[in-house]
Amino acid sequence: MRPVSTVLLAMTACLPASLWAQSLHEVIDREIERQAAVPLSPKCDDATFMRRVYLDLAGRIPASDEVRQFLADEEAQKREKLIDRLLAGDDYPRRMQEFLAATLLERRTDTKVPDPQWERYLRRSIAENKPWNQLVGELLFTEPATDKQPQPPEKFLLVSGREDMHQKTQDVARLLLGRDIMCSQCHDHPTVEDYKQADYFGLFTYLQETSDKAFAEFESVFVPGKNSTGPRLPGGTVIDIPKFEKGQEAEAEKYRPRLLLAGDLPTAENPLFKRNAANRFWCVMMGRGLVHPLDLHHRGNPPSHPELLDALADEFAESGFDVKHLLSEIALSDAYQRSSQLPEGVDESDAPIASYRAAIPKPLTAEQMAWAVMQATGNLPALLAVPAPAKSEFSYNNYINGRIDEAPDNLADAMTLFVGVFSNPPGEPEVEFNAAVGHSLFLMNEPLILDWLKPQSGNLVDLLTKIDDPAAIAEALYLSVLTRLPSQEERAEVEQHLQRFQSRRTEALGELAWALIASAEFRSNH
Amino acid sequence: MSQHQCIAAQHDWSRRQVLGALAGGAVTGTVGLANLLEPAIAEEIRKQQRQVLFIWLDGGMSQLESWDPKPNTEFGGPFRAIPTSVPGVHFSELVPETAKRMDKLAVIRTMSTKDENHSTGVPRVQRGDPKNRGVTYPFLGSALAKLRPPENNLPPYVWIKPGRGGFIWQDAGFLGAKYGALALGEGKPPVHIHRSKSISDETDDARQQLRRNINSRYRQRRRSSDIDAYESSYDMALQLMQRRDLFDDSLLSPKDVERYGTHPLGRHLLQARRLLEAGVQFVKVNSYHWDTHGDNFNMHLDLVPQIDRPFAAIIDDLGERGMLDNVLVVLMSEFGRTPKINSRVGRDHWPEAWSLVLAGCGIKRGVVVGKTTPNGAWCDADEYDIGHLFHTVFHCLGIDAAETEYLNNGQPLPIAHDDCRPIREVMA
Repeated sequence: MRPVSTVLLAMTACLPASLWAQSLHEVIDREIERQAAVPLSPKCDDATFMRRVYLDLAGRIPASDEVRQFLADEEAQKREKLIDRLLAGDDYPRRMQEFLAATLLERRTDTKVPDPQWERYLRRSIAENKPWNQLVGELLFTEPATDKQPQPPEKFLLVSGREDMHQKTQDVARLLLGRDIMCSQCHDHPTVEDYKQADYFGLFTYLQETSDKAFAEFESVFVPGKNSTGPRLPGGTVIDIPKFEKGQEAEAEKYRPRLLLAGDLPTAENPLFKRNAANRFWCVMMGRGLVHPLDLHHRGNPPSHPELLDALADEFAESGFDVKHLLSEIALSDAYQRSSQLPEGVDESDAPIASYRAAIPKPLTAEQMAWAVMQATGNLPALLAVPAPAKSEFSYNNYINGRIDEAPDNLADAMTLFVGVFSNPPGEPEVEFNAAVGHSLFLMNEPLILDWLKPQSGNLVDLLTKIDDPAAIAEALYLSVLTRLPSQEERAEVEQHLQRFQSRRTEALGELAWALIASAEFRSNH
Repeated sequence: MSQHQCIAAQHDWSRRQVLGALAGGAVTGTVGLANLLEPAIAEEIRKQQRQVLFIWLDGGMSQLESWDPKPNTEFGGPFRAIPTSVPGVHFSELVPETAKRMDKLAVIRTMSTKDENHSTGVPRVQRGDPKNRGVTYPFLGSALAKLRPPENNLPPYVWIKPGRGGFIWQDAGFLGAKYGALALGEGKPPVHIHRSKSISDETDDARQQLRRNINSRYRQRRRSSDIDAYESSYDMALQLMQRRDLFDDSLLSPKDVERYGTHPLGRHLLQARRLLEAGVQFVKVNSYHWDTHGDNFNMHLDLVPQIDRPFAAIIDDLGERGMLDNVLVVLMSEFGRTPKINSRVGRDHWPEAWSLVLAGCGIKRGVVVGKTTPNGAWCDADEYDIGHLFHTVFHCLGIDAAETEYLNNGQPLPIAHDDCRPIREVMA
């Protein structure tokens, strides 16, 4: 248990006394329960919890052995221990790097910083639990190397287009401040009162490279007249940038606007920054932002649970922007551990999604889908055994269009294929479930998937062919794919299917595994 | 091919950064209503379902060498005008087959679109040019997928094009990726439409039934929308796989192949007919290279018959099948071509006064709307912009553009340019 957090002590002046001395996960539950109609859904069972927390913190589903062990464990604190173990584990940095590729970069690419360099940088930062404000500061400004090669963190701004200052302005506003201010490039936002053109250009100016550019003139297309601003964060004041003469270059360097932004934006004093970060980490765990859509923070779109968002943002800042602490507190809450089934007798319409009355199922990301399918079918070890080619010839487009016949035989190429199929196009946020016909056609007919469901040394179907008892088959199958035990009905279904197709038992086993992989239960982190 | 010709297709590739993403289609979330009803009623519903055939000649077809000939005038060029099946209406001699069907068509001769630039022209026109609203508007096919989700499980927007296929999400603009186009490169189906030979019908039924059973157990006391969406993505996939025959060229009658022609535009229009017959709501057929900055007349002599014959064939076929009442046909380019003939015997881009052809659902038959000045250079009647065309299209499909709007993150947006109106003269 974490001791009483200092931020909450500091906040007690403005919060009800009842919040005194509560840890963050208790605050979460208090706030969710305070607003929700009763009954709320009960805690989910151990198997569901395990799959959920593995997908969220390790990016994969647990192996059968891990499930069996966890289910058999009688320790009262086993969920808490599992959370700690996953946050300390080797999968966590990889999972967070995959998550950030989809959220910070939105799968846009730039070749100036090669992907492996960027991935290494992120994984290392995450492994050492680098404070989030520090990481964001590095993304906003990292001094170029002496050989002028871009540093890995620069990839964040490079994907906006090298020279496109407007795209950079919009990306920083949307991804780091939670404000989609695109409209304000040309005028104050027509329907969102808080999004002003002056704020847009304040940020635009802040992103400039040299101090002599720290000033922008702009004019609204609706209201005639010239306006101007220096570097300024939305809602803040313009920072003062001196004028420099020739010969003062060294001094001027210190006033490069983007360098200053890297220090001024990711701070505990910037409510937009900490609320946006807290909301996005909340969303990845809980399936929906307290402010939703994630990039529409403004007065007209208030948080579903305002006090909760404040508490998350403040404690996140007070903890020194400790990402592991924030994720851990969310995972410890009852809200996170609730069942995704609605309470008995409660209709969908009486449990609005933003009430968090039941857990919200999250679609598996492309990477989670890849790890899950490889793990579930037992083909991961074989794929891992093939060393990744130094420079892969595999391309998703070429494979899909029949220009490469060889299916991926190693993990990296298989991942490329899954990301090609299941990810949204570059620049499209991946928050809502996108059920495209291409996904289902892929699972139905891709030769690689069908191949993985044929018996090959030590994979799932290979193991199942060696079991005679249908009940044991059902158990092994469900533990491996859906990472839970089958119900009576499901055991019977497996038995019936095997009986019906006893003349071709091996194929029948593959079909059973396929059906589980193609199911809505598998496709979602429920 | 002239060295002066822009290769418009190349512009197009780089412009849209086409990802050859695997086929994916919009999932509308609606259950295949028509599948649940008695066949006769289903047939009736299918008839009432309005469909669109959108033929896009990328670049600009010369109005003077097609729908608005001006023989023996300053800019008229070498070709003659010929009478059409509507007395008093003449077309260029390059479109003899279409001329015989003029009584089924409407021609607008006063399109005036003010934009002569390829790089903005294609998206501007196909998105309906709804002013700068700070958002990217959907192409027409995506717009209809959103405004009129079809009541079958077929992909709502199919794009037949030369080159590579895939799921072209860019067309959806702010509506979001799922309203994008399912593109059939060279008219071929998505790769994963073919079931492995190792899986028999019986096996496939069995595995799909298992999948449905698991889903119905999972569904208990859960919100249904994501599960419905996932289920219907399988329904759509199965529907496409069942209709593999739609892509089997061996099933085509040699007579049809001959009537439509074996060049890409002919084959693709014949493919479009099959998809429309199957009930696909919006089929776009693309042809590239209509860009005759040099050697305009020889190139038109070569190009125009490639649209004339298959276009006449599909008008006949839709008519014979009773489909012209519910299929709206649009045949157009980005712009017309300059009346003035340049030093390379070419015609350049000319958005000031050009022609397009409409037919079918909601369209008057045998009318010409507007006229140009005697030398063909300017409009000599009411001018129509793309916004007018979009209003007309929406009207013909039963969508009231004055009453219907999009909602983008709370921002209401008109579905068509709000300074424009439908073109009454072409509406039945």
